[in-house]
Amino acid sequence: MTPVAVVWRYLQGRAVSSALTVVAVALGVSLVIASVLLTRGIREGFIAGATDYNLIIGAKGSPTQLVLNVVFRMDAPTPNIPLGAYEDLRRDPRVEAAVPVAMGDAYQGFRYVATTDAYFAPFPWRRHAPELSAGRLFRSEDPGKPDYEAVLGADAARRTGLRPADRFFEGEEMAAYPLTVVGVLRPTGTADDRAIFISLPSYWEMNEISRHAAVRPLTAVLVRPKRLSDLTALHRGWNVSPEFQAALPTAVLLNVFNWLGVVEDVLLAVLAVVTVVVALYLFVTMYNATLERRREIATMRALGAHRATVLGIVLLESGAVAALGGLAGILGGHAIAAVGSSLLAARGGPVTHALAFGLLQPVTLGAVVSLGLLAGLLPAMLAYRTEVAEHLAPF
Amino acid sequence: MALALLLTLAGFPLRSPAPADEIPRLTFAQLADSMRANLDVTRGIRAFNGREVEIQGFIIPAGPPDLSFFLLSRVSGTGNYCCELPSGQDETVYVYTARGTSLRYDPVRVYRIRGRFEAGHQVDPSYGVSFFRVRDARVEEAVGARIFKVGETKGP
Repeated sequence: MTPVAVVWRYLQGRAVSSALTVVAVALGVSLVIASVLLTRGIREGFIAGATDYNLIIGAKGSPTQLVLNVVFRMDAPTPNIPLGAYEDLRRDPRVEAAVPVAMGDAYQGFRYVATTDAYFAPFPWRRHAPELSAGRLFRSEDPGKPDYEAVLGADAARRTGLRPADRFFEGEEMAAYPLTVVGVLRPTGTADDRAIFISLPSYWEMNEISRHAAVRPLTAVLVRPKRLSDLTALHRGWNVSPEFQAALPTAVLLNVFNWLGVVEDVLLAVLAVVTVVVALYLFVTMYNATLERRREIATMRALGAHRATVLGIVLLESGAVAALGGLAGILGGHAIAAVGSSLLAARGGPVTHALAFGLLQPVTLGAVVSLGLLAGLLPAMLAYRTEVAEHLAPF
Repeated sequence: MALALLLTLAGFPLRSPAPADEIPRLTFAQLADSMRANLDVTRGIRAFNGREVEIQGFIIPAGPPDLSFFLLSRVSGTGNYCCELPSGQDETVYVYTARGTSLRYDPVRVYRIRGRFEAGHQVDPSYGVSFFRVRDARVEEAVGARIFKVGETKGP
């Protein structure tokens, strides 16, 4: 009988115990894999969804709130700023592009974003300018003549089922202002996929307060300077004003990443403890199994099996349990990450596809098998040292 | 030797001669001094073109959040504006980091950048006009100015 056949018999002989050990290893590994994939997915989701504009001007307050709301459509909008701020920026010779943005309510959870056609302009420095997959952009730029046209992000169009030429509104009070879908955007992998874009004049007329106000409100202005070296001067110039703030979106995201890093460190500590617990469980199982089998081992030795063969059998069994658990855990971890990321994405969270294959999977499997062999080492030594005469003696 | 002569002729402030294997450190004062009125740079600073240099400054995150690109400035971009005026093109280095660079960003911390230096007017499709660039840059936190305990120094 070969050592592999012996290990197979051993595993079958303790089927329940072996299966439970495999499950324990699999649960530990899936926890590690799911945590790594999800934290990486969230980080990459933030990077993919980041804006190409370098500066965001908004009302005084938290830069994190301003950037998360305007770029990622999370959190509540910051207070309004007057349209004059946008006109000042447009006239500023240091500014290459200024795009006004006003955040509205939502239709079926998809936020209204009022802006101009400049929002969709494919500047050479833009990584992902939104492109139309059907229809056209809204037309109206005349403040007196809103045409209530809407351009839908890819997810917003797919999930609401709205198509070009459809008319819609949400809530009875908006019945007087139905929007007409004129275009649908291609997927961009950013928060734009979940937005409903309308023109500023439509927004001002739909908004009960701004309809009668003398000053037209905006939430923010996205700014790209002609020279990046002017960024600090622009940033300071707007920040020293008591009314406005200027936020560097990348700086805000890097601060978010710093916080995410703290969470990842805590998670790493928890995962390290989980790994130790699983390794100890494997060790205890293998140790007990070897103690129970000392008589069988002595018989094998009496029939001519070498000490090294006995050692190898125990190590092989421990490694096989770890490998089975590792494989199941990697599959399970990917399943948990897939469910987690789709739940997060459905709630509008920035997360990329978490199922990328790379070094993570082979390295994890290698580490689990090594840990399994390590856990089996002491029981294997116990088997190696089993004395034939002592354990074959009658009870 | 030829380089030293060139630097001296260009009026470049030469500090103590560095050993061949030591990376020369450039300061923002040197960069600002090298800018000409016609927006060209001196031959002295061009002598560092293609060479490995070290520059210390504050990070202004002007590129994507993976920090593959950022500006290095004499002045912190997000400080409390108590002390210094914002820097301009002459005191800004456009830094392209080496692959796999990761760092903990702190707006008020000084970072040490080491990489291949380039001086001279250039237009990048993504990041626009620049005069000073460092490519394949490695980034690490720099130790700040020395803090003295009262009593350690002789005092005025």
